[in-house]
Amino acid sequence: MKTLIKIKPKTYAAGDIVKIDFMAMHPMETGMRKNKDTGALIPAEYIDEVKFLFNDTLVTKMVIWESLSVNPLMSISFKVPGAGTLKVIAKDNKGQSVESTTQITPKG
Amino acid sequence: MERRSFLKGFGAAAACAIALPHVASAAEEKKSASPMAMNFETAVAAITGGKALTPSAKVKMEAPEIAENGAVVPVKVTVESPMSDKDYVKAIHILASKNGNVRCANIYLTPANGEAFFGTRIKLGGTQDVVAIAEMSDGTFLTAKQNVKVTIGGCG
Repeated sequence: MKTLIKIKPKTYAAGDIVKIDFMAMHPMETGMRKNKDTGALIPAEYIDEVKFLFNDTLVTKMVIWESLSVNPLMSISFKVPGAGTLKVIAKDNKGQSVESTTQITPKG
Repeated sequence: MERRSFLKGFGAAAACAIALPHVASAAEEKKSASPMAMNFETAVAAITGGKALTPSAKVKMEAPEIAENGAVVPVKVTVESPMSDKDYVKAIHILASKNGNVRCANIYLTPANGEAFFGTRIKLGGTQDVVAIAEMSDGTFLTAKQNVKVTIGGCG
């Protein structure tokens, strides 16, 4: 699972509210789609839990289902308390899990 | 010649008639609902625990009125709140009222978010209401909805 974390805007100061975009490359299969060649159902495969942590303290927890689009985007707000590490843990219903981190470095 | 082609056609039609019941029963089997399927009333009851939903202007939902492609429908929800330790939005729930599984996302926020906001892209099977439910720290539930017309469904 490839992931991407984007902080918007790029430069910010401590105390600013920024947007965190988290994107994961994931098929988000609903379990209702059929393989066009064999007619067999493609088993459901979707991200079901995403956690955003700042310096290992939980900021936001998400429980999601297969209704999110392919390669889902999740965007939240975050009030920058200071410098630190933002960690995003995403887990899918097959137990596959990925951890991605980015540094929060406020300026000014 | 005419008789021959008639017979050929008849033969093919008969073969179809025999084959069809099989096709139909196979399709019915596969149409069984997804294991995650849940209808709107059940999902709302699971979120609120039977408490009343109050439509509120504090919940602002941004979604297109007409979505050409149901596979990617951008949805943004903002809830007006100071997001202080005492008064904040505990959770934002997004439901697509007519999808097989109406639940899209439950977002559990904390005051560290600074602002109650969630943005994503969802799949919609057809024209329907997209509903946002905000669970406030005082135990009340606020809601807002937006009807989205879908030209091409996003499922299957």
